[in-house]
Amino acid sequence: MIKSLRQRWRRWVNRRIPRADEQTFTQNNIFILPSGAGVVFGALLVIMLLTGINYQNSLIYLLTFVLGAIFVAAMHQTHRNLAGLQLALVSAGEAFPGSPVVFRLRASARQQSYSLLLRSDPETPVSIDVGPDGPVEFDMTTVARRRGPVRLPDIRVETRFPFGLLTAWSWMRLRSPGLCYPKPVTPPYDAGGDDDGDTAQSKKAADPDHADIRPWRRGDLSQRVLWKRYARTGEMVIAEWEGEQGNPVWLDYDAFPGADRELRLSYLAALVESRSHAHQPYGLRLPGLKIDPDTGPVHRQQCLHALGSCGFEAPERGVSSASSAAADYLGSTV
Amino acid sequence: MTETVPKDTIPAKALVWLLVSFGLLLVPQWDRLPPWLIAACSVLALWRWLGQGGRFGLPGRWLRLVIMLGLIGAYVATVHGRFTVETAASFFVLAVGLKWLETRTSRDFYVLFFILCYLAAVNFLFQQGVLWSLLNLTATFVLLVGLQLLNAPQAPNALKAGWKRLGGLLLKTLPLVVLLFIFFPRMAPLWSVPLVSGQARTGLSDQMAPGSISSLAQSSERAFRVTFGGEMPPPRERYWRGLILDRFDDGKWTQWQPEPSRPAGRVLSDGGVGALKADEYDVLMEPTYQRWAFGLDDSRAVSRNVEETANGLFRFRRPADTAVRYRLARTDPKSNVQTLSQLDRQRYLHLPPKGNPRARALAQSLRQEHDSDRGFVNAILQRFRNQAYFYTLRPPKMPDNSIDTLLFEAKRGFCAHYASATAFLLRAAGIPARIVMGYQGGSPGEDGRYLIVRQYDAHAWVEAWLPDRGWVRVDPTAAISPARIESGLREAVADEGSFLENEWASPAKYGDIALVQWMSLKLDAINYQWQRWVVGYQGQTQMNLMSHLPGNPSLRDLGYLSAGLVGVAVLLAAAWSLWRQRSGQSADPVQRLFNDWLRLLRRQGLEPRPARTPLELAAQAAKADPERARMHLAFARAVNNHYYGSGSFTPEDRRRLRFLLRQMRR
Repeated sequence: MIKSLRQRWRRWVNRRIPRADEQTFTQNNIFILPSGAGVVFGALLVIMLLTGINYQNSLIYLLTFVLGAIFVAAMHQTHRNLAGLQLALVSAGEAFPGSPVVFRLRASARQQSYSLLLRSDPETPVSIDVGPDGPVEFDMTTVARRRGPVRLPDIRVETRFPFGLLTAWSWMRLRSPGLCYPKPVTPPYDAGGDDDGDTAQSKKAADPDHADIRPWRRGDLSQRVLWKRYARTGEMVIAEWEGEQGNPVWLDYDAFPGADRELRLSYLAALVESRSHAHQPYGLRLPGLKIDPDTGPVHRQQCLHALGSCGFEAPERGVSSASSAAADYLGSTV
Repeated sequence: MTETVPKDTIPAKALVWLLVSFGLLLVPQWDRLPPWLIAACSVLALWRWLGQGGRFGLPGRWLRLVIMLGLIGAYVATVHGRFTVETAASFFVLAVGLKWLETRTSRDFYVLFFILCYLAAVNFLFQQGVLWSLLNLTATFVLLVGLQLLNAPQAPNALKAGWKRLGGLLLKTLPLVVLLFIFFPRMAPLWSVPLVSGQARTGLSDQMAPGSISSLAQSSERAFRVTFGGEMPPPRERYWRGLILDRFDDGKWTQWQPEPSRPAGRVLSDGGVGALKADEYDVLMEPTYQRWAFGLDDSRAVSRNVEETANGLFRFRRPADTAVRYRLARTDPKSNVQTLSQLDRQRYLHLPPKGNPRARALAQSLRQEHDSDRGFVNAILQRFRNQAYFYTLRPPKMPDNSIDTLLFEAKRGFCAHYASATAFLLRAAGIPARIVMGYQGGSPGEDGRYLIVRQYDAHAWVEAWLPDRGWVRVDPTAAISPARIESGLREAVADEGSFLENEWASPAKYGDIALVQWMSLKLDAINYQWQRWVVGYQGQTQMNLMSHLPGNPSLRDLGYLSAGLVGVAVLLAAAWSLWRQRSGQSADPVQRLFNDWLRLLRRQGLEPRPARTPLELAAQAAKADPERARMHLAFARAVNNHYYGSGSFTPEDRRRLRFLLRQMRR
């Protein structure tokens, strides 16, 4: 009975607060009720009033009215502390199973909001103060369990300021999920091309001077710029391995006949990790997707992302591009 | 500014205000609480404070238990199983004291907050003066500030902001509080409640030993204040009768029949309403914890909270455990002569078989000289007037045959001594007599609009039964020291210098210094008005005020009205805060400019989402509108510099942003 009521309530709330990556809290989506302390305070006011009545003591009436009026006024204070707050998702993180997926959020408010308590799981609430002097960024995490998009549980935003007698709260339900990579499982045999080519490749990679060099063009990944040479000579050049090599290491989805999809992706994830760890270039072939060989953390992330989202609807590109663009932006200002 | 929530502890700056409030709330109870309780609470509070920074360990579970049991044991021993509000109040104080050692989490903080709020309410039962009320309210406000500090300890300037916010709240809610105070229906008490105090107060008692009134004469505490509808009676008529003592035994005057002690019953506070008629007078009496009320000779009860007894005295229906207002009216002296039953006659003539032989002999000889009772009374007064009897606050000790000693040896005494001797002589001569205790005189308050009667105005005199006239007042003190009756005790003992010997702090002692006198009268006048109109705003007073309103609202109407008031206040506040939110512009100018920019991008068909950084948005905008790409980028950089850069944002920068925005709009 209570459970079904609770479910109905949640359904109602969910209709009221649609999933979104940014949200402004207003009258329409803020809930307010007395906190536990507030209920006791209400009972105390009743007892005080009874004392006043039975002793015919006007001053007790007066004290009760003062405290009661403050209780009512605190309702608006508490509500206002939350109203006008804006929360926006900055980036949704990605992680391996068992690790926390970090969602970065930004809070901004037109007026000072104190002691906002945000939690998506009951254990690790985050407390922030936001004011007109600038937005505040903070992280919320959830542990990744299964490969695929990871939703952050609904964030409950709560405040009891100023007196703690009332709780104003609302939810933020992020639309964009994070991503959980496949759990890396070392394949029984290495299906990533032939070993010789692999070692040759690594040799080349370790010695970029042997790679083909061409001037930097717009659109080249910054990881491929030979920064050492740039430092030495001042020219921005790009090492190009694959064009000439012709024999890159392709990590191929089809290389594991007999294994089911999840296992294949796990094998591939393990291979991506090991190659990436060894700074060896590699490419990735998935059904309907091909990622050209490369090295570096961005490439690795791109590959893992592809593995993680394989078979799921294309997740919101907006957010992941936002995160890479944010990386660019950081790079450009540093 | 971001932080994970720390373990649930109480910040020191919140705790200190809780302690301060506790200290303030103890002050009104100072003289009622047993000293050990105050000492124990101070030690426990101090202990808690020292334990705050971990400098000083708080007691473990067992020590706490020992402390708790010890203090509760002491408490039980002190209260002797009596239950009054006073013992309940000291139990509250004890509970708070013990709670200090267990105040660890914010939950404990709230428990203390609730107890202290109620303690403030209980304090109002004991003290209702203006200054006490301010103190109590201040302590409550301190609590509320402490709560704010508990809820947002990290906020900058939290203390100042807390007081400011509270002040704002109080100011905004003031109209509601005032309206509720006026219109909230003052119901009759729902059930009877225990007395506020079982403790004896400075004041008259129901027996009179020779020294009992002179100790009262050392107190300048107020007994009651009177406003007269007509002219204030002259000092020699201001005899405030309180109680009658009719039994003399062992040198003491007591009552044959003790006043019937009634269960406390409900508090009735119908002190009479409306303008005073010319013959009426309105008495505001300080708590005495007794049922007796004080009235002039030949009065009748007007308000319903007093009733007249057979002896022409007035009694409350419930002991006066708080300040109580009542109304009496003066009547013409009763023309029909009362009768004295045989039983009463014996009662008023009774003397112990032995003792004070010389006084008895004096009575016999005077009786032989004066046939009429009136002549006898006059002879006694004549004797007091002519012989060298002195009125003094420092009489010698008269342990045995006190009346003989006073009349023939010491010849120095206070009103109680002379009244006792006079009544003795009258009875010895066969004239029924009794002692009346009460107050005599009183000094005018500010502008002479009302009369203040203080404890040192306490007085004892005699009433004698004369066959043709009934009970007649006989005051030997008036014969010995007319100044006492005409000008009060201060004048009467001026030569002796014994007026308020031990009350150094009392303003009454310095009544001859004009400034002190003016200030103390001013304060008393404020307090009097406060007590009459604010403290005394109850049942009948409210109905009287309401009867001036159209429609003559009943209590039920007032209930609806109060509920409506609260509803309207809530709606008004909601409307106001909605309006604020609608019209509210960002206080941050850069945020405003940024919002304008977002609006511009939206007009250009982009979907700017706040989650994107300014630079991303600029890149997006540049793609859509390559011509202005540089402007967008510059704008985004400037916004970034403002929010993430270390440099300060000057008005110059703001102008630049505005300029860019204008350019982009073209």
